[in-house]
Amino acid sequence: MSTEPRALTLQSCRHCGAGAPTELHFCPQCERILTLARHGDYFSFFGLPRKLTIDLADLERRFRDLSRRFHPDYYYNASSTERLASLERASYLNDAYRVLRQPLDRIEYLLKLEGVAAGGHQASSQPGQGMLGEVFTLNEELDEIRGARQAGVPGATLRERLEAARRPIDARAERQERQIEELAARWDAQLDTGAPPDDRRATLEALKSLLQERSYIANLLATVKREEEGL
Amino acid sequence: MSQVVGIDLGTTNSLVACVEGGKPVVIRDGSGNGLLPSIVSLDAAGAVNVGREAQRRLLTDAHRTVYSVKRFMGRGPDDVRAEAEHFPFRVEGHGSGVVRIGLGERHFTPPEISAYILRELKRRAEEYFQERGEFDFEVDRAVITVPAYFNDAQRTATRDAGRIAGLEVLRIINEPTAASLAYGLDRREAGTIAVYDLGGGTFDISILRVEDGVFQVLSTNGDTHLGGDDIDQLLGAVIVGAMREAGHLPGAAQGGVAPAPELLQAIRLAAIQAKWDLSDRAEAEIRVHLPGSQGGPLFTRSIPREEFEALIRPVIERTLEPCRQALADAGLEPRQIDEVVLVGGSTRIPMVRRAVEQLFGRVPHVGLNPDEVVALGAAVQAGIMVSGNRDMLLLDVTPLSLGIETMGGAMSKIILRNSTIPASGTEMFTTFVDNQTAVDIHVLQGERELVNDNRSLARFKLRGIPPMPAGLPRIQVRFQIDANGILSVSARELRTGIEQAIEVKPSYGLTDEEVERMLLESFEHAEADVESRLLIEARNEAGTVLRATEKSLRNPDLAAAQNDLAPGELTAIESALGALRGVMDAGDRGAIEQKTQVLNDVTRHLAEVLMNRSVRAALSGKNIDGI
Repeated sequence: MSTEPRALTLQSCRHCGAGAPTELHFCPQCERILTLARHGDYFSFFGLPRKLTIDLADLERRFRDLSRRFHPDYYYNASSTERLASLERASYLNDAYRVLRQPLDRIEYLLKLEGVAAGGHQASSQPGQGMLGEVFTLNEELDEIRGARQAGVPGATLRERLEAARRPIDARAERQERQIEELAARWDAQLDTGAPPDDRRATLEALKSLLQERSYIANLLATVKREEEGL
Repeated sequence: MSQVVGIDLGTTNSLVACVEGGKPVVIRDGSGNGLLPSIVSLDAAGAVNVGREAQRRLLTDAHRTVYSVKRFMGRGPDDVRAEAEHFPFRVEGHGSGVVRIGLGERHFTPPEISAYILRELKRRAEEYFQERGEFDFEVDRAVITVPAYFNDAQRTATRDAGRIAGLEVLRIINEPTAASLAYGLDRREAGTIAVYDLGGGTFDISILRVEDGVFQVLSTNGDTHLGGDDIDQLLGAVIVGAMREAGHLPGAAQGGVAPAPELLQAIRLAAIQAKWDLSDRAEAEIRVHLPGSQGGPLFTRSIPREEFEALIRPVIERTLEPCRQALADAGLEPRQIDEVVLVGGSTRIPMVRRAVEQLFGRVPHVGLNPDEVVALGAAVQAGIMVSGNRDMLLLDVTPLSLGIETMGGAMSKIILRNSTIPASGTEMFTTFVDNQTAVDIHVLQGERELVNDNRSLARFKLRGIPPMPAGLPRIQVRFQIDANGILSVSARELRTGIEQAIEVKPSYGLTDEEVERMLLESFEHAEADVESRLLIEARNEAGTVLRATEKSLRNPDLAAAQNDLAPGELTAIESALGALRGVMDAGDRGAIEQKTQVLNDVTRHLAEVLMNRSVRAALSGKNIDGI
């Protein structure tokens, strides 16, 4: 994902020179499609606040409406400036929709937007402090199962052991999902109530470390799955 | 206002359609054929034949006749080496670069061959608009369809073909998506559709969400080298084997010589006919007719449907994995698909229908003609673009991930597959040595990790980077995939804001200059091509007169009419008939026209005599009031 230029207050129409707020897509004066030189962010592009809870049906409706206004199919006869504007706005819309539609991508995008260094997809190589024990146990069990498989222990027995070993990790993953949802809801509420910047930042930092832990666990579960398929 | 059409440029057949009174219709030739065989043939006189005439020449002049050229679009000589052996025409060029097809003395790139097909469709459409009384009947703009799984090079080659044919290509759209547009005209409720498109040479599966007039592709997958051609080759190999066993290929039996290209074409046509027959019947008769022979078939063998199905099972199974992948990419289970639509001639095969029905757990939809539905959809899209009507909108995806080569020969992805198009991505580059002013970028398309497993699209050279210490320049390269699924690249050095010049070397495509040159050449050859058309017309006219004469000579009244004829009149007719037959297949239009004229003149009296007799016969026994 590329770094988005930070929001500036005004853009200007290439056709008539009128100024327009960055969240507008069409010139308020000549009504032509605006070049995407300066723009806000994915949220403002859709006319949405920077909240993490998004009504997907509403987002889809907005996506369809904006597609109908920008799509290059409708600009093939327009000036080259408008054609380019349509191409860039439609591309940006598609990128924005893809990111905002996925809850985790949405959080990562927000973290970057708010200047909280992201790193979500980049799985942390170290598990968080609280889960060291569980990870250690699981890895030990995986080693033993591999050994037992080579010794000819039947797959069904080993599968049961593997299931048992992953149960605490599954439980932790579920807990994490709930925590992420709670933090997302907290962020939305903090926006609504105008909570102090430090509090909001704390929420984002917490989200960030949760996302990193989550990727770590996802990798771990993928390993268990590969092991299961091998049985 | 000039006219706009939708074109399905198929592997086996091509069609042209337009919107009339708000509905798409296929434009047919004088005999009512919508399908134009995608075959181009260069005759001895150097004239180009397209369509049915070229198809006829497959059996007489196979090595100067090109079919299935779509399989060569946007591909390099090395890609097609193995495949080229199955074709009677010469496939030339080596290494990477553009394939050239040699016909006699001339060489053609696949886009040039395709341009001949497009020009024929353009002409057909112009005739139609002229007859309809349009003031400006010129067709100068078109929407052309391609398989959804076509890569950038294949799409670009298709667009180039349009330009060489003198068409402004309004949009390249994907065949399954076009089909869904044609289907979607009548139904407006929301739903999820799977389009299974098995054509002559390509296979596509697309999963779409349709709501509120927006046709949004969720995922697509496929194989650009899988289709009816593969089935024909399998069945053809069985026939060759059986003929060899029966001693029908003596040369082959003695020295392992391959059958002559014309005989191979006869075998291919026999295989195709048997394949068609097996769609309606439990058993078919394979009949190989020797090219040019008037007698019975050289070889016959019956083939039950079970044997055919066992033979083609692997081909059909190869379509199922892309279907599963497309479903997974869309995040859907088969049961979440509301409707399955079949497109492409090969979906007439019962086994294909059973396989699709089994996979999706529902009976596929076959309301529209699977041969025509793609062209109809292309016409709908053309209509949308020129009318500005925003009731319907197509949102397609890019079928393959786009990336660049990084250190160590790995591919770093910038735009992921199934991203809605237009889509863009940016990547930062810098320099490795002080005062470096140029950077090389290798752009790839595909899903694999290593560069060599993916498709090389182009190599770019970024020039004019301001001299700076190594690592200091920040060059932002923007990759833009447009609504045609075609890539363009721009770059800017962020510290100075200088737009960078980009020198493009397409890996498998033509440069703009080459396309321009081909367009000019096509005008130069236009004279020969007009001649070719006149020759075809002369042959058609000759055929009409020949058939009429033959019919007269078989007329039961002829014996009785002998008395009304001059002595030697019948002999003169027989001799004129033979003379015309003798020049039919040569490329001399003057001779054909002259002999046609002679035959026409010499039979005029016979026609009158027969006419009078039949009138008298009709009138006999009736009085004048009864007439």
